[in-house]
Amino acid sequence: MMDWWLDSLLVLGLLWLAWQAVSAPRVFRSVVMFIVFGLFMSLCWARLAAPDLALAEAAIGAGLTGALLLSAYRALLARHEQRLPEPRVSRPLAGLIAVLCALAFGVLAWVLLTVPGVETPAGREALARMDDLAVDNPVTGVLLVFRAYDTLMELGVLLLALLGARVVAEPLRASGPGPWQRPGLREPVLVAPLLALLVPLIVLMAGYLLWAGTSAPGGAFQAGAVLAALGVLLRLTGRVRPTMNSSFHERALLVLGLAVFTVAGALGFGFEGYMLSYPAGWSYPIILVVESALMLSIALTLALLFSGSGGLRGGE
Amino acid sequence: MDQVLLYVLTAAALFGIGVYGLLVQTHLLRRILAVNVIGNAVFLLLIAWAVRDGQPPDPVPHAMVLTGIVIAVSATAFALALLRRYHRDTGCVSLEGREDEGG
Amino acid sequence: MNVAAVVAWSLIAVGSGFFLAGTVGLLRFPGVFSRLHALTKADNVGLGLLVLGLAILAGSPWTALKLAVIWALALLAGTVSCHLIARYALREQGGRERAEP
Repeated sequence: MMDWWLDSLLVLGLLWLAWQAVSAPRVFRSVVMFIVFGLFMSLCWARLAAPDLALAEAAIGAGLTGALLLSAYRALLARHEQRLPEPRVSRPLAGLIAVLCALAFGVLAWVLLTVPGVETPAGREALARMDDLAVDNPVTGVLLVFRAYDTLMELGVLLLALLGARVVAEPLRASGPGPWQRPGLREPVLVAPLLALLVPLIVLMAGYLLWAGTSAPGGAFQAGAVLAALGVLLRLTGRVRPTMNSSFHERALLVLGLAVFTVAGALGFGFEGYMLSYPAGWSYPIILVVESALMLSIALTLALLFSGSGGLRGGE
Repeated sequence: MDQVLLYVLTAAALFGIGVYGLLVQTHLLRRILAVNVIGNAVFLLLIAWAVRDGQPPDPVPHAMVLTGIVIAVSATAFALALLRRYHRDTGCVSLEGREDEGG
Repeated sequence: MNVAAVVAWSLIAVGSGFFLAGTVGLLRFPGVFSRLHALTKADNVGLGLLVLGLAILAGSPWTALKLAVIWALALLAGTVSCHLIARYALREQGGRERAEP
């Protein structure tokens, strides 16, 4: 009974928030509603027995996406309240199309759920083979062992997004949150203690998420997102400044994940005969090394995407 | 109604809301939000499907949606970079009205 | 229901009541400062009571400690955000003499 109440409240909240996100009168309200929508999605993942996803959605979907959206909102601020042109599609027609799309989606979903499936879908196979692996977390097992190609390509997509953003980037002065340390303004008193407390805590949490990801919910993506949040925090408090070009170390760190993963996979090719397998008995340490490299690359890529710059340098 | 059915219906409704927003809104930031809502609707369907028969949840859709979340944030970041550049070059925040301005 | 469960659920109920009060304050108060006051005071106490109730229900001291850490972090985040927002609003409105509640 209580479960039904909780699910209904979550679902109603999701629907209302999504509606607000697309049609609230002011853009700022839309953005804030979307961030809360991300948090509600995180709760839904927890309800649907997907704790890894709940962690990832809270860190990436609500947190980082929210920071990106608010930063973009600030950059477009001059133009929001102007009268916007009328859409090319009239509202009743758009409503009709939306209802038809939702119906088509619902029919597809119903077919997906009720058609008797394959005898042993990939997931059941994966769960059955979990004992052969060195890791206990099935999602990590799928990500890094059974479907390692997908994860490798995902890193490529992340890097590609950063390259694309660099190509269309604005000049550095206009990009990202501006330095609020303008002359005449003192830094708020509570910022330094906040950083003193949060920076070690975030590093600890990221390390724990990475380590625990092999046997409990967690993993490289969640840890990388938490580290990226650290980068965002340092950028916003002025502890690091954006720079136009990436230094050699930053470029090395950006491709580190892709490189280490490919090398580990090539090693497997030498030992086991196919790419992205791991030499027997070595898989646990190799997975840990690969995940660490992934975490660092993901963190730097996401932090640079937020900052809109080629690099981040410490100090004043 | 059981939990999976409830979430699947919600996913369909979210999909419809996202499509409506994409068609009707002209402010590009709102369109990016609408596309993200559509993406989340599809993820919700995948995860609801993963717990459909009460056994331990299927890890392959979980891994796919985790990949999807990371790719969604990269695509959003790229779209926002494009939007900022577009705004900087033209001063507009929507695609529609541009032909009337005479370039 | 034993005594511990009754105590825990009443703590959770009172904590939710504080959250309700904070939200009503957010919606009904006229200016930035009074809204901040309602939010930070009511929500922090509400969260503390909720965490206390959940810690009693959880049973293991380890979980209770983790819940307390969550409360401490939420307190920290709320304090700094309140400080930054209030500072910005004060500067916007032209200093202490001219700021409205």
